[in-house]
Amino acid sequence: MLKYLAKRGITYVVMIFLTTSAGYFLAVSSLKPALLEQERIPRPTPEQVANSMRLKGLDPDLNPWERYVDWLTGILTRWDWGRSPNGAYINAEFGDRVWISTRLFLASIILTLVIGVALGVYSAARQYKFQDRVITSYSYLAYIVPAPIAYFLVQLGAININETVGERIFFVTGISTPGLAPGWAQFVDMLAHYVVPTVAITLVGWGAYQIAQRQYLLDNVNADFVRTARAKGLTRNQAIARHALRVSFIPVAQSIAFTIPAIFAGGFFAEKIFAWPGVGSWSIDAISLQDVNAATATLAYGSVIFALGAILADFATTLVDPRVRVQ
Amino acid sequence: MSSETTTGATQPARPDVERLHLAGLHAPTDAVLSVRDLNVRFNSENGAVHAVRGVDFDLMPGKTLGIVGESGSGKSVTSLAIMGLLPPTAEVSGSVRLNGRELLGLSDKEMCKYRGNDLAMVFQDPLSSLTPVFTVGTQIVEALTIHHPGMSRAAKEARAVELLAMVGIPSPKDRLKAFPHEFSGGMRQRVMIAIAIANNPRVLIADEPTTALDVTIQAQVLEVLHTAQEETGAAVVMITHDLGVVAGMADDIMVMYAGKPVETGAVDDIYYNPRMPYTMGLLGAVPRVDVAEKSSLVPIEGMPPNLLHAPTGCSFAPRCPLASDACLDGEPALAPVGGEAGHAAACIKSGSLGGSVDVHEVFAAPPVPVSRFDAIPREERSTVLELTDVRKHFPLTRGALIKRRIGTVKAVDGLSFDIREGECFSIVGESGSGKTTTLLEIMEFHPDQDGEVVIGGLSNKQAADTKTKARMRRELQMVFQDPTGALDPRFTVYEVLAEPLQNAGMDRGAIRKRIMELMQLVGLQPDHVNRFPNQFSGGQRQRIGIARALAVNPKLVVLDEPVSALDVSVQAGVINLLDHLRAELGLSYLLVAHDLSVVRHISNRVAVMYLGKIVEIGAVDRVFDNPRHPYTRALLSAIPVPDPQLERTRERIILQGDLPSPLQAPKGCNFATRCPVFAALPPAGQEKCLTLEPPLEPASAGTDQQFACFFPDGELDEDMLVAHEPADQHAP
Amino acid sequence: MTNLNAVDPATVAQDAHLEHADVVIGKTTIIFRRFLRNKTAVAGLAIFLALTVFSFIGGFFTQWDKETIDPFNIGMPPSADHYLGTSQAGIDLYAMTVEGTRISILIGLVVGLVSVLIAAVYGCTMAYFGGKVDKVMLFILEALIMMPALLVVAVATSGGGEGLKRNLPSWLLLIIVLLVFSWMGTARLIRSMSMSLMQRDFVKAAQYMGVPPRRIVWRHLVPNIGSLLILDITRGVTAAILAEVAFSFIGIGIKVPDVSLGVLIGGATSQVQTFPWMFWVPLTVMFLLTGSLAMMNDGLRDAFDPSSSSTGKAKKAKARKTTVEKKMA
Repeated sequence: MLKYLAKRGITYVVMIFLTTSAGYFLAVSSLKPALLEQERIPRPTPEQVANSMRLKGLDPDLNPWERYVDWLTGILTRWDWGRSPNGAYINAEFGDRVWISTRLFLASIILTLVIGVALGVYSAARQYKFQDRVITSYSYLAYIVPAPIAYFLVQLGAININETVGERIFFVTGISTPGLAPGWAQFVDMLAHYVVPTVAITLVGWGAYQIAQRQYLLDNVNADFVRTARAKGLTRNQAIARHALRVSFIPVAQSIAFTIPAIFAGGFFAEKIFAWPGVGSWSIDAISLQDVNAATATLAYGSVIFALGAILADFATTLVDPRVRVQ
Repeated sequence: MSSETTTGATQPARPDVERLHLAGLHAPTDAVLSVRDLNVRFNSENGAVHAVRGVDFDLMPGKTLGIVGESGSGKSVTSLAIMGLLPPTAEVSGSVRLNGRELLGLSDKEMCKYRGNDLAMVFQDPLSSLTPVFTVGTQIVEALTIHHPGMSRAAKEARAVELLAMVGIPSPKDRLKAFPHEFSGGMRQRVMIAIAIANNPRVLIADEPTTALDVTIQAQVLEVLHTAQEETGAAVVMITHDLGVVAGMADDIMVMYAGKPVETGAVDDIYYNPRMPYTMGLLGAVPRVDVAEKSSLVPIEGMPPNLLHAPTGCSFAPRCPLASDACLDGEPALAPVGGEAGHAAACIKSGSLGGSVDVHEVFAAPPVPVSRFDAIPREERSTVLELTDVRKHFPLTRGALIKRRIGTVKAVDGLSFDIREGECFSIVGESGSGKTTTLLEIMEFHPDQDGEVVIGGLSNKQAADTKTKARMRRELQMVFQDPTGALDPRFTVYEVLAEPLQNAGMDRGAIRKRIMELMQLVGLQPDHVNRFPNQFSGGQRQRIGIARALAVNPKLVVLDEPVSALDVSVQAGVINLLDHLRAELGLSYLLVAHDLSVVRHISNRVAVMYLGKIVEIGAVDRVFDNPRHPYTRALLSAIPVPDPQLERTRERIILQGDLPSPLQAPKGCNFATRCPVFAALPPAGQEKCLTLEPPLEPASAGTDQQFACFFPDGELDEDMLVAHEPADQHAP
Repeated sequence: MTNLNAVDPATVAQDAHLEHADVVIGKTTIIFRRFLRNKTAVAGLAIFLALTVFSFIGGFFTQWDKETIDPFNIGMPPSADHYLGTSQAGIDLYAMTVEGTRISILIGLVVGLVSVLIAAVYGCTMAYFGGKVDKVMLFILEALIMMPALLVVAVATSGGGEGLKRNLPSWLLLIIVLLVFSWMGTARLIRSMSMSLMQRDFVKAAQYMGVPPRRIVWRHLVPNIGSLLILDITRGVTAAILAEVAFSFIGIGIKVPDVSLGVLIGGATSQVQTFPWMFWVPLTVMFLLTGSLAMMNDGLRDAFDPSSSSTGKAKKAKARKTTVEKKMA
């Protein structure tokens, strides 16, 4: 098992390297920070711009390959991901933002999975009944709404609630109110900021899991081994709960690989709409600021998240499926 | 003849209500399971399907009832209806009484008191019938927990170990913690039986328990069932399509056709004195492995009726050679047949049928075809296929990152044989013996292969360019096992047959003409060429597959289990067709089959393979009548014969365990680990078997029989010999 | 070994069909009929077609176009002159919606169709050649899945890659980027399906007859994954429309002056309270579009599924009723 994980790990490291390198070339050849600098007032001379860029390791006169080698050397020897056009160090910026993003998504990921799987089981048990139809229709609805619009609608709803109540219960943007003393008040403030984005991400996310879990369970309801369990003297429902359910978790566990990156991708939208200064919104800002190094770093981060998701899925699968455990 | 077991329905003329009433009052009070007028309907897109139509029987304690029928005859639905395991959409009516207690109409929860306790069942497919994510121990213990919640953990585990030992699983204590995927199919079926007998059931229903298994494993599992029945004293309902399987173990037989019992009676009456043409046909359609018969098999033409419409006459009439107008007038009920207690048949002509009527005449079995090559001695015929020292080894590796080679799977290991014109050569052996790999190696035809393959004078070593390959393909064609999978579902029959012809560069007109010829050749209506494969029955689809193989006029046809996916009655027709084509077109066949009866019927020569090697080869009658290698003897002995008296008395060799993994094969003789002779040898002899590889040597001068064994006449180990006491429970 | 035990009323029913085989119905006809029987699917198809037609001829019903500013009607709610009102810049919303719908449908159709085509070619190639080719191609595929598509979209459409941006309209650029990142999932599915088809006996039979590989792929593989391809086209179209709206919504997809549903919705978010029609009208059109596609997809899946229970529902309900009545009696 460890060996297997190690092998997967190495494959993913190679992939991350390749995607990040490809991303760097794409960014370096299409993002031109020098152009933005020249629009400043008072307008600097091209020499001045080039000089300031050179100081930050963003020399526009070097060709992409030379810049790539410099950039890579920096990472490999000093773990230095370079600097932004405004002079900020990527490494320093990154830490905070990763923490903010992780905080935002962790609760949502867990809630999405738990609610999705639970509702999937519930609706499968009541196939074609009223509850099933409502839940499953909702999931299909979630499928046809683009994530940012759904977030925006949740935000609108929260604003409406605030207005109706006449008091600011939910914060629809930002991560905290500055200047609060640590303690109870800060904790409540944090919750008030958390609620809306978490609810929004979860509401959009669980649909896919509900549909998948429902389908996998229904696929197994008439399996031969369920019939065996019934022949032993279990009722239909007992046999399904004890035997079919566990087997139906296997494909769901495998699909975790795609949840984490999917929620991360949704995170771009969520951070943008709820104005959380996480990795997602940073990456989009970086691109509009023509910041090559920041854009590449966020891309690398995305790849790492994907690889983590895939390895986690392998791990979850071995937990629920003994056939994988023994190679 | 087991007169206390009345296989019911001797009062067929009475209306249903009265029969139901009688079930409660007049059923033999000691019957453990009593079924009256069982009817099952399913609702389908096209209307209600009446899958079971009036089944009656009584099962006495400790007795065995065999229910025999083809697919769609309603035998499995009957068993599921008794167990209460049909989907809720099925409508079940009638009466099922277990020890006098009515089971039909009970809720799922109420049924649970009986299921797995007094009433247990073993299913057909052992691979999918166990939950993959739980250990075998957990699944056995579960069966105990449900009905004995008070039992202590230790007691349940002890009982589970005891059960596993009873069904013959080695080191049962350790195996409790194993998952189903760590067991072979035969072992999983043993576990299924252990679960079924966990609570000492009164009735054990076995639904085709050995259909998915190899013959040697089938013999083992049947033996386990026999032991289980002895240990628990349960009455057994054995459902099967194979008349051989039940011949030795059943007391009574019920033959089902189109959802209805058409003949019931004591086992000897059914086998030796069938009174219903369908039963006669079934018996005549099965080739026998123990006799060198040279008569054609009895084909039953046509297809079973659909069960959407209530039949207005005898449902077998459309396929029955004896049918007359009277047969179409109302469906005949089961009526007692004169002179034999409990023997009943649903045929208005049952009185005129009996022991002396020859089934071959009734069904007009075609004459045995004679090939023009039969008269020519084998040595003088030209060779169509020759294999010389063909090997196929796969490396067996372990480790994820760096693959270590831990051994070699010798799927095919130094195979040499030849096939002459007009000859049928068969390869037999268990799955995993390398039969199929051999076929693939021949079809592959590549110069890099280890060993030489010569097809119609073309050698794989000399030239394997596209042109030679195309020429080779015209010499050699293949028929596949699964007729459904072998035909592209999106092609019409015309397109299927046209493909090889277009590929051979024929023009449209010629293709059309040839297709019409082919359709006639394999006995299909030429005007059906525009239909899709799913509009044909299994037997017809296999005929299409044969027609496609014959399209380019090959000399040699490779047949990979050509009839194993077909029902017995249909199988006979296809075998007869193959026989006929070989004679008429002068074809040669290379046949791979696990059914030794079919092999004996159709082949001239046979090779027995074990772990990639030929262990015995020769003329089929010679090898089957006088087998020298212990493995051949074991294989032949494992085949059940549709002859109850013979089955009850004969001694059989039950090989222990499964085919060993290639890693465990000894250096000397591959078969030593399972060999009944080896087990009884003195240490010196065993040493020889383990260290030296026995060569393939001629049995005696003048025959072409060869075998590879040092001690062909050695005594057999007693543990591997099983003979049931004739007086066991079948005393006449 | 066939499963002789299957209690499958469907097969029995099929056998029944065989008996009266004079009425031989082609598979395509059956699928078509099943699709037509599914009311939701037909409604979906109708809505989608209506929207497509609307997006092409809708422009003729108004004198306004997406660029002309009406200085007398700025930020007006719907009226007789401006069917759907105007933006705060005074541009007719109806005209913009027609244009936006057309661009969205265009993006959806092109991306949906072409990505499935790429996926089919890529997937079948992998499955057919197997071995090393398969390994390398699978690696590339997984690496592409790993790339966060959104960032690449952002770089490509907002980056200073002046050359690209100047020469191509933003919708075409978006189509190209979406195409690059939309085919991998389908390709993987097609690969695994083709691989299992390659194992099927009828493909082996063709190989043993000496039929050349190209013809096997074309005549045996492609038709047999046809239903999957059609389903993936409808799915792909939906996904592309959703992606366009999502990207344009946060300002990295289609850029003004080009119009699309996403641009209209995104542009109106800041004034939901003041000019609600600017937000809800394009949003409703988007819902109709994606909703109708989802309905079609559902109906198609049912029609292709041989074990589908979508038909004969009436009979079943009736049957259940009779059972209940029997029990009560």
